[in-house]
Amino acid sequence: MAAVNGARGKGALARALLRLFAVQGSYNYERMLGVGVGVAEEPLLRDLDATRYGPAVARGGHFFNAHPYLAGLAIGAAARAEHDGASPDQIERLREALCGPLGSLGDRLVWAGWLPFLSGLTMAAIALGAGWIAVAAFLCVYNIGHVALRWWALKAGWTHGTRVSVALHHPMLQKAGAVLGPAMAFAVGAALPLTAAFLSGPFDAWARIALAIVAALSFILLRLRGDRVNGLRLSLAVAALALVAGVLWP
Amino acid sequence: MILPVEVLLALVVWGTFVGVDLVSLPQMMIARPLVAGTVAGAILGDIPTGLKLGIVFELLQYDILPVGAVRYPEYGPATVAAVATAHASAGVLGLGLGALVGLVTGLTGGLTINLLRRINSRIVHAAAAQLESGDPGALVRVHVGGLLRDAVRAALVTMVGLVLAWLARPLLANALTVRGAVILAVAAVATALAAGAAGTLRLVGRGPNLAWFAAGLGGGLVATLWLR
Repeated sequence: MAAVNGARGKGALARALLRLFAVQGSYNYERMLGVGVGVAEEPLLRDLDATRYGPAVARGGHFFNAHPYLAGLAIGAAARAEHDGASPDQIERLREALCGPLGSLGDRLVWAGWLPFLSGLTMAAIALGAGWIAVAAFLCVYNIGHVALRWWALKAGWTHGTRVSVALHHPMLQKAGAVLGPAMAFAVGAALPLTAAFLSGPFDAWARIALAIVAALSFILLRLRGDRVNGLRLSLAVAALALVAGVLWP
Repeated sequence: MILPVEVLLALVVWGTFVGVDLVSLPQMMIARPLVAGTVAGAILGDIPTGLKLGIVFELLQYDILPVGAVRYPEYGPATVAAVATAHASAGVLGLGLGALVGLVTGLTGGLTINLLRRINSRIVHAAAAQLESGDPGALVRVHVGGLLRDAVRAALVTMVGLVLAWLARPLLANALTVRGAVILAVAAVATALAAGAAGTLRLVGRGPNLAWFAAGLGGGLVATLWLR
């Protein structure tokens, strides 16, 4: 145990973190993130004796699906459990139990919170004239949060092992979840009219009226028939109609 | 669209990085259209066009929540191709044509992601015995193979997009009147705004965040009117 907590342990954690950035590299419908998770976990298993190392590596590559930024939590916890001598069944159950919570937490915090919040702010800033600097700021700020979350997740999993559910109730996560939802809603809400004005800047008055009508009708269609129509299909269909009209209308 | 070879190469390389970033490595969000479009614009010496098309496809991106194994279009390389198209056709014409090329490229990219995942599934299935043996070398080989296949896929999607960009001007631009170009741009911007608004409302839901969305919308409207 001393080795996994000492300098070698820190080196292994750093290697696991680096590999975590490619955790979805072999994403597939059979094991989902499983293979990537196994690759990222492997440096943390090297201190195990030969009889336990192989089976632990094989378990690491089994089916796994969660938010990629939080997968480290399961990786750290499973590796720690291997070191603590947990049974194979216990480790498989731990991995299975973490899939759902890590997926929903990550989706709420990142895909539905941090990312659209910053993206909305960036669009608004561009519309207000900030230009490429807003995009550079987006990349920097987003990735501070991104890398911090990956590192925290891996470390928390490694610290808590089979008791990793403690980490999922960390007050910081609860607070971030409570703040990011409203912040995202406000930022994107504010960005929509600003970007509409920015993008329609070169249009004549009749084109702006047409824009408002087409946008309203498209919005209604997407809200009412969102099960059948998505943004891409609708955009392609409307663009095809516009192309035909544009060619035929002198 | 006639671009110097070095610019084309830079766009393919950038499109490949962007395509790989979406899922495989490192998910630092250079795949977001805002970033992909701005850098593509910088490569072409036309950042304003990159920003505009970046926003159009960023709005469309709000229609997608990449949870689980959901299938979605790929707007990163699509934005690179869109900016290349728009750069060749100035003004409103560029915006409409660029969006059209980007939408077709985005659709193609989404199909290739699904195809790649199916191929990866077969390879993982075939390597099951090796993976179960606990050989870390086998695990790394399967994983790195997936990464490399994604890089090839992203490069191909970007190249398809750039070919479409090259074809767009002779096939479409000359057939469109000025009014026709405006109609196409209006269609692209309007549906992007609608997709952005509808997608955001799906995220926001009917709970207390809806009030925050309404407050933001109101604030944005006031700011827009104030700045006119």
